[in-house]
Amino acid sequence: MTDKQASNRAQKKLWFEFKKPISLPVTVALGVSMWVIFFGLWELSVPMGWVTELLVPGPTKVLSALYNLFVERNFLSDVGVSIYRIIVSFIAACAFAIPLGILMGAFRAVEAFFNPFVSAWRYLPAPSFIPILLMWFGTGDAPKLALLFIGVVWFMATIIMDHTKNVRTEFIETSQTLGGNRWQILRTVVIPAVMPDVVTTMRQMLAVSWTYLVIAEIVASTNGIGAMMMRAKRFIHTDEIIAGIIVIGILGLVFDYLFRALHRAMFPYIEEHGR
Amino acid sequence: MSNQNNAKLSVSNVEKIFHLKNSESIIAVTDTSFVVAENEFCVLLGPSGCGKSTVLRMIAGLEQPSAGLINLDGREIMGADRDRGMVFQSYTSFDWLTVQQNVEYGMKLNLVGRKERKERADEFINLVKLTKFKDAYPKQLSGGMKQRVAIARTLANEPSLLLMDEPFGALDAETRWNMQELMLSIMETTHTTVVMVTHDIEEALFLGDHIVFFSSHPGTVLEENYVEFKGGNRVTRKEDVLVLDGYADAERHIMRLMREQGTEHLD
Ligand SMILES: Nc1ncnc2c1ncn2[C@@H]1O[C@H](COP(=O)(O)OP(=O)(O)OP(=O)(O)O)[C@@H](O)[C@H]1O
Ligand SMILES: [Mg+2]
Repeated sequence: MTDKQASNRAQKKLWFEFKKPISLPVTVALGVSMWVIFFGLWELSVPMGWVTELLVPGPTKVLSALYNLFVERNFLSDVGVSIYRIIVSFIAACAFAIPLGILMGAFRAVEAFFNPFVSAWRYLPAPSFIPILLMWFGTGDAPKLALLFIGVVWFMATIIMDHTKNVRTEFIETSQTLGGNRWQILRTVVIPAVMPDVVTTMRQMLAVSWTYLVIAEIVASTNGIGAMMMRAKRFIHTDEIIAGIIVIGILGLVFDYLFRALHRAMFPYIEEHGR
Repeated sequence: MSNQNNAKLSVSNVEKIFHLKNSESIIAVTDTSFVVAENEFCVLLGPSGCGKSTVLRMIAGLEQPSAGLINLDGREIMGADRDRGMVFQSYTSFDWLTVQQNVEYGMKLNLVGRKERKERADEFINLVKLTKFKDAYPKQLSGGMKQRVAIARTLANEPSLLLMDEPFGALDAETRWNMQELMLSIMETTHTTVVMVTHDIEEALFLGDHIVFFSSHPGTVLEENYVEFKGGNRVTRKEDVLVLDGYADAERHIMRLMREQGTEHLD
């Protein structure tokens, strides 16, 4: 057996050791390979006759459709509208859910008052409100913003309540024996202790927000990314539909990344920044 | 140091009953009385589950006694307040604050001016030998260092009484022993009155001016020991206390009590 074979064997073994770390270049190469295989098979699928181009246009065709959308069809304004809807509704949901969740987690009486109500709403699927929201708010931005808001706010309040309950009692009691009053403890112990979890929850809920946005825009909208995709469907522009999916995916990734960066910047004292 | 006339803290006929969810109740502590003198280092000792923490938490005001009276400086205590600072066994340095900010925390709550706050924090950080780490976050500190932060934070707030519940219980043997010596040198400087819970007999004999021994089920004071063999002095090095006449006898006596009390509830 040559040295090379030996080292190959050693490496191969290393890849499949339970829970053992692998080197960074290998990690990156593996991650990229999966995508290369995916795009390769996709590009090949039409010339090989596996699918018809009408239903599955290849990646190059989708890329050119994407370019076209942005350059000639003012797709940027659709993207802008979607982002605007996400941001406005998400800020409103946070402004409501974060204080509510923290107060429910901190005080049993607040929990007893709000939680039965909040929990009930959680089990109503937000899209079931679309028809009535349309009747109430007409066709503008309002019904979409309302859907995004109710799709996120109850879950967010409940999750933040749970995180707040997990703030260590010894932290609170330490502050009490140092002379802290109720308001001081809320401000200087409970809120700072729960803040990292709040930001993580916001990150996760923003992903949920995107889901409802697409539903709202596909069902009832004349602008936004989802509306563009429905227009494309009418004209059987499959490449544009796929381009829309890709843009939504990229925006989701970007927002997620921004929240991770925010988490790292806000909480330098934390050892592990959640996944 | 066992003078009842200059009582700093007096615990009189205190009882604590916990009512459980299934409408049963536990008498955790009953008819408990003892007195702690000014500047005294009082140790509450006893087998596990005998109610030491409960007594300490009642003194802190974190639990209400079901019966009895607790007086500090001649006044009945009412809830938790800054005059009774508590150090817990688990680490309580706030992880979002640096060492310096942690130590200033209590003073900030009590609206001490910025300049005085900083000076006092510097002084107490120095006292617990953490000056080099004053800008570090707790995640960068060892367990012993975190406890030193908690002690400095409590003392910098100038409590009338320092309460500690097994503060060194989670530390390894060497760190624990260093912390005990550090504690004595701090007492030398600050003249604080301390009530500390432990179930480490050696620690009790080394640190205590006054040991209150609890029996279990229900918890009450079984006997008090004024460690006469130390002749009313504090011994600052641990190895020196071990060779004092009477140390071995005291340790043996307490170990026997511990054994009797500890096995009693296993029957
Ligand atoms: N919050 C509570 N609710 C119900 N029972 C409690 C509560 N706190 C303590 N007890 C009970 O009171 C008794 C005394 O508990 P305590 O924690 O004071 O003992 P301890 O002497 O500090 O024990 P250890 O040495 O193990 O810390 C135990 O039987 C315990 O189960
Ligand atoms: Mg205890």
